[in-house]
Amino acid sequence: MKIAVLIKQVPVSDSTFRPAENELWIEEGQIQYEMNENDSFALEEALLIKEKRGEGEVVVVCMGPSGRAPRVIREALAKGADRAVHIVEEGPFETDPHQIAHILFESIQSESFDLIFSGLQSVDLGMGQTGVLLGAMLGMSTATLAMSTEIQEDKIRVKRELESGWFQWLTLPLPASVSIQSGINTPRYPSLKGIMGAKKKEIKTINKTDLNLSEGLQKVTRIYNLETDKQTEYIEGDPDVQVARLMDILKSEVKVLGA
Amino acid sequence: MYFSLFEQVILLVFVIFSVSSFTYEIWKRISIIIKGTGTLPIDRIGERCLRFFREVLLQEKVIRERFLPGLMHALVFWGFMAFGVITLDHFVRGFNGRLLGETAYSIYSWVAAPFAVLVIIGILYLAYRRFYLKPKELGKISITSGLVAIFITLLMATYMLTELDLPENIEKLNWWGHSFLILAFLFLIPRSKHLHLVLAPVNIFFRSFTVPDHDTVEIDMEASEEELDSMLSGLTKMSKKQALDIFSCVECGRCTEVCPANRGGGLLDPKHHFILDLKDPMLHSSGVDVLGQINVEAGWECTTCQACTDICPVGNHVEKSDEIRRHQVLVEGQVPQEYQKVFRNLQESGNTEGAFQSPLADTLPDYKPDKDYLLWLGCFARYGLDPDFENSVRSFTKILDEAGVTYGVLTEEMCSGDPANRLGDKLTYQMLMEQNKEQLEGVKKVTSLCPHCVVNLDQEYKKYGEVSYKVEHHTQVISKLIDSKKISVSRSSSEKLTYHDPCNLSRTLDEIDAPRNALNASSSKYFEMEEHGNKTLCCGAGGGLWWKKETKGRTHLVRAQQVVESGAETVATGCNFCFGMMKQGLGPLTPDDQKEIQVKDIADIVAENLVAN
Repeated sequence: MKIAVLIKQVPVSDSTFRPAENELWIEEGQIQYEMNENDSFALEEALLIKEKRGEGEVVVVCMGPSGRAPRVIREALAKGADRAVHIVEEGPFETDPHQIAHILFESIQSESFDLIFSGLQSVDLGMGQTGVLLGAMLGMSTATLAMSTEIQEDKIRVKRELESGWFQWLTLPLPASVSIQSGINTPRYPSLKGIMGAKKKEIKTINKTDLNLSEGLQKVTRIYNLETDKQTEYIEGDPDVQVARLMDILKSEVKVLGA
Repeated sequence: MYFSLFEQVILLVFVIFSVSSFTYEIWKRISIIIKGTGTLPIDRIGERCLRFFREVLLQEKVIRERFLPGLMHALVFWGFMAFGVITLDHFVRGFNGRLLGETAYSIYSWVAAPFAVLVIIGILYLAYRRFYLKPKELGKISITSGLVAIFITLLMATYMLTELDLPENIEKLNWWGHSFLILAFLFLIPRSKHLHLVLAPVNIFFRSFTVPDHDTVEIDMEASEEELDSMLSGLTKMSKKQALDIFSCVECGRCTEVCPANRGGGLLDPKHHFILDLKDPMLHSSGVDVLGQINVEAGWECTTCQACTDICPVGNHVEKSDEIRRHQVLVEGQVPQEYQKVFRNLQESGNTEGAFQSPLADTLPDYKPDKDYLLWLGCFARYGLDPDFENSVRSFTKILDEAGVTYGVLTEEMCSGDPANRLGDKLTYQMLMEQNKEQLEGVKKVTSLCPHCVVNLDQEYKKYGEVSYKVEHHTQVISKLIDSKKISVSRSSSEKLTYHDPCNLSRTLDEIDAPRNALNASSSKYFEMEEHGNKTLCCGAGGGLWWKKETKGRTHLVRAQQVVESGAETVATGCNFCFGMMKQGLGPLTPDDQKEIQVKDIADIVAENLVAN
């Protein structure tokens, strides 16, 4: 069984973000990056399947700059992935999930994976579409938000999370692309042997610029901080006047009530 | 009394059987102990002998830790010492000889006979305690203990009968009875916890002076696969001393009784998890490769406070969380998610919080070689793990300023590595240690408000090689400034003040006096809590557990409750983690109608009472 896991390197979510000068991305200087937490559950699920079956290959696929992305790739290899595909993207960074899926498609279409796992979404953009779009482009069956997985011969059975506590059991024929819900397993920490062994594992690099790409469907035009301000108004007068003024504020200024 | 050849042969058979069985069982255990890694330490031999004299011969620690049972134990122990000669003489008589002449023997009886009475009093009290009072730390009812109590009582009784003028046939019967009791006892000793009679004195002699004392794990990133495998497989092997510990255990349960995790309702039971659970695996495998058998969940609960090791009467280094955790991290890769986050932060940013800026450090002077002290902040203060602690750092710098002592902070200070070290990530620890050592090269004096940092920069780094600097905890610096009159402090603090000893300061660094010197100089209403000094109770944050997620264990509330019950208005501490933990504990425990007890650092108390020189 050949499993690809899509991993993304994202800024740690409790960092202090500032828009970059060109207002197209964030200032990267004082930001710590890590593996997208949701993807670490996808990686763990793939490793567990491989270990349970006693055979197979787990390949991590990551797009990111050559300066920092190798750190999460090494982490994945140290945890037990067999090899990696690194699509080098030095920026500006692609944010359109359709375009990202297309880049991934161009990079791995020759690999014929049985399964593609991805985290349910990235914590920086939160689109949650890349895995499904890539699956569709590769002609695979697709499912999102898997809370458990079970491989059956040439199928995969998944439990999907729906709204308000509802679940759905679904059996998909392989190959399939499935996005994994967080909390499905307990991601491991790279063992020392894993860390040392990762040094010898293959990382295939593909330059994004070498791929045959058309224009994306959407792009970021501006990133900026929302302006917030505070106002205090002391409402005076008798109760009728106060209520009238309050209603006026709620309708026309704060706009939480219909006019 | 005359013994016929037949009687002598019978006696010889029994003696040979009993002695060889005893020797065989002891040898079985020694052969396991010598398979352990490392060597048994024999440094500071004079101190070792003195400690042996006090703890073994005088039974000082046994008596101090549990007064009445300890004293009763001492009576039995001293009695055994006194009876050594009598017992040898007894068996020589069976072969129609005498070790002591008639006169010598009757003079010695004046020593032995009173001891016989004292031993009976001692052993009967101990039996009463075990079988009637049934303290829970002794565990399940032990049949061997009952048997031993009966044996010892009968031994003394049969001895006293020999002192009476009995008809010869009764005297002989009594003699045989006495002999069989001793031989049966000899048979029983190595098979039970009474083996401590033999091994505890040895174990106390070899006990390390450094606490905690875990093997260093040195990781060579260039090592070959074979070297790596051999290093990793060594992580589950016990040292010789650890193996000796297991067989010396007397199962008294003091370690579990003082364990903060256990007292807070946790799973950890050091007596079983760290010691007794390993005994059978050692005997069954005839080896020391058993550290993998320790309950992992229990191991993660340990706050590494060293109370268990400190109190052990037979000289065991009880705590083994280091061994469990490093195996989980380095070999198994099984690490609770919250700690994985701490490790990643340490690797990526060099601090526990993954922070890039320290507002506090930016306001303090930079360290230059002409400064008196390098002020080591530690992540807790540097990144405001409790924002109020910034005041305590300012109190300390105010004291230093007042005394005319110069100091500066490192702009690139990394975590000392304490959480990585205690949580088992020795690779990350090594990385941080190497970077810090490089930055500290040429520095002469370091001071810090964080005892965790002090322990690591000093004691722990030294385990990996020499360091150029001396490290002092800030309470030691303050205490010296008071003594040398560099600062004047008035005893004007009027609040009822007590002090919570941080484990790293009291048990590891053995610093009990400096904080008290500072507090007594600043307050006339200072009083001790019941559990203080080396007997302090951990706040719950040690061993990296500050970063632990909420669990059902309430370790931090146990100590906070004691502070509430002490009636203190202010509790001082000498550790930033204790400071933060105490505040978290005292908040929910303070009754609605009561003012919340204030938590301050010792530096705060002294700074508040500074008198301008």
